[in-house]
Amino acid sequence: MSWSDYKKKIKRQFSEFLEIPGDVMMDLPKIVLVGNIKIFIENHRGILEYTTEIVRVNVMEDEVAITGENLMLRNVLPDELCVEGKIKSISFL
Amino acid sequence: MLLFKLISYLQGYLVILVTGAAPEKFVNMSAGRGMYLWDITRVSDSAVVMKVHLSAVKALRHIARRTRCRFKIKRRVGFPFYFVWLKKRRSLALGAVFFVGALYFLSSFVWFIEVRGNDRLGVNEVMQAAAEAGLSRGAPKWQIDPGRVEANIGERLPLVAWTGVYIKGTRATIEVAERTVPEEEDRRPSHIIAKKAGLIKEILVLSGHPAVREGDTVGQGQVLISGEIPPPEEPLKPGEVKKPGEKPKPVQPARLVHAKGIARARVWYEGYGEAAVVETGQRLTGRCETRVSMKFKGKEIILSGSQIIPYEFYEANTLVKSMPEWRNLYIPVELITVKYYELVDYKEDHGRAGAREIAEERALEAAGGQIPPGARIQERWMEEVSTGHVENLVRVKAVIETVEDIGEEALFNP
Repeated sequence: MSWSDYKKKIKRQFSEFLEIPGDVMMDLPKIVLVGNIKIFIENHRGILEYTTEIVRVNVMEDEVAITGENLMLRNVLPDELCVEGKIKSISFL
Repeated sequence: MLLFKLISYLQGYLVILVTGAAPEKFVNMSAGRGMYLWDITRVSDSAVVMKVHLSAVKALRHIARRTRCRFKIKRRVGFPFYFVWLKKRRSLALGAVFFVGALYFLSSFVWFIEVRGNDRLGVNEVMQAAAEAGLSRGAPKWQIDPGRVEANIGERLPLVAWTGVYIKGTRATIEVAERTVPEEEDRRPSHIIAKKAGLIKEILVLSGHPAVREGDTVGQGQVLISGEIPPPEEPLKPGEVKKPGEKPKPVQPARLVHAKGIARARVWYEGYGEAAVVETGQRLTGRCETRVSMKFKGKEIILSGSQIIPYEFYEANTLVKSMPEWRNLYIPVELITVKYYELVDYKEDHGRAGAREIAEERALEAAGGQIPPGARIQERWMEEVSTGHVENLVRVKAVIETVEDIGEEALFNP
């Protein structure tokens, strides 16, 4: 077990013990999905790819891929973004 | 979101087309530097369209160079651009300002005056009294003192018990409440004459001299209560004997009054009705067919309904709708709605008694139609009129007796 993994584990246990939400304590992304038409991602680290079929977003050490049709970036803020369109799937890569 | 759109419009924004290998980098860097981008859409493999605030454009050049993208302004939206356009068309802007100013200026005058609540008082009298206190058409609103106008109207017109003056927009409303004053009595000499012929049942004289007695038959126009009161005859003194050749005493002139009274009389109304014993004719069956068609330059096009009318006998009811004419323009299109009501032959045998009933009803209706409101119906008779030979018709005469006031005022010149 590497040092960073160990640090993460400690952090998670600490936040679980104090009941602090993970997105505050551990910089995890908070993803809100409204039906299949809208998705909000908070705490993102930049857009990796954007086409009308796929949007890949960098979050911490992972990557979130949203696939669908006619996707559009409704707004982009330094730590929040909103994607609109017909959403088919969301996956962590 | 609406608020955001409104603010964006006021601040002004640009729609830009970003081309390059990686527009995502461009977006990331802009967002990282605090520039707000929205409505990002990919239009082709290497081009993305987005919206950006006007204030952020200068910094975008730098970002574009760093991310090896190019951007082109496609559209400018918002108030700042509109303002620039307006600057070029100064007279238009001035005209708009002038229009608003004129509207504001003209709305500070009273243009309409409405008088309400006046019954016997003329509108002109009230308006004149109001004008004296400054409230007239075209008067500036800031110079009108409603209290002063109210006071002046109350002073000028003694018939007014209360006034209220309200100004709302360009309309002034003067509300008046009138005093109730006893009506001036009509003192012109007049008779009461008979409106129609009848038999006097009772006569009640309030003022005047009775010209007929109860039980008299009167004709139309006959004087019932005279407005001329003859002087009282002086009774003969005891012991005085009226001598045959003696001159009558100087006659006092008759007193003239406005006759008043009620003269109730029995009045008869006659009516006639007939009905066939065996009735034949056509009547509606209740079935109905509607055909809607459009007429255009003499050609008729059926829009709905069948072409052939499925009835043997029918009654048609046509409704034509056409466009209103304006000046010498005329639209040659008409919408025609025809309703066909089916008719059917019928033959009905009422029998003599049944026919008589129908005839009686019709006769009563004919007689009753002449009776004025307020008349009391006393009696009614029905009489069959026979012509001497047998026929398919029953004829009935109805007589209705009423008691009503037949008096009517009639002025006369003594």
